[in-house]
Amino acid sequence: MLGIPTVLVTVGPEASKQMRPPRAMYPKGFKIGNSLGKPGQRELQKKVLRDALLMLTEPARPGQVIEREYPEYDLA
Amino acid sequence: MATLSRKCVPFTPLERDLSKSRVVLVTAAGVHRKDQTPFNIADDLGDLTFRVINGDAANSELMVTHHHYDHSDADQDINCVFPLELLRELQAEGFIGEVGKEHIGYMGYTMQLKKMYDETAPQMAEYVDKKCKADVVVLTGG
Repeated sequence: MLGIPTVLVTVGPEASKQMRPPRAMYPKGFKIGNSLGKPGQRELQKKVLRDALLMLTEPARPGQVIEREYPEYDLA
Repeated sequence: MATLSRKCVPFTPLERDLSKSRVVLVTAAGVHRKDQTPFNIADDLGDLTFRVINGDAANSELMVTHHHYDHSDADQDINCVFPLELLRELQAEGFIGEVGKEHIGYMGYTMQLKKMYDETAPQMAEYVDKKCKADVVVLTGG
């Protein structure tokens, strides 16, 4: 098989869209430097990582950046 | 490596269960081991090199060298941009098959885009494929 399945977690969705990645997720509202969450938000960080990995098993929208909501990000 | 049209989205399906997959991280967030040469932030053109990070590295052994984003949060908790520790937990839970033995950090800032595209990126892809034998790659930025 040619290639390796990848998934991108981006906090710069506009820039990432230009590269048309095969699978990409934007945790909505996360600032640059917080791709997975804020310091110490261990459960949230893990959830984002798990969701990114699950994108590999879901119907894909290649070239698009999928927004996901994580309201707990703003609670810390 | 085959040449793909730049208009093409190079989509590769996952053909095995996550629970049987070896996962490798590739980050543009400037992460490296403290005992490795830091990325060269003195060069306005950026740094085209990458660092290989062992899969059992402790968070305390890692640091960030990057001058084009605020990494103060990652300095406190590297999981903000490089969730290697969390990946190990997902392995222990059986969610993924295996954490790769090696992962890659580079500094995602360069004014030498052609060299990055033509040289560094294929070198990293080759490493991830042939050395890491990744089934899956998770990419993170800063």
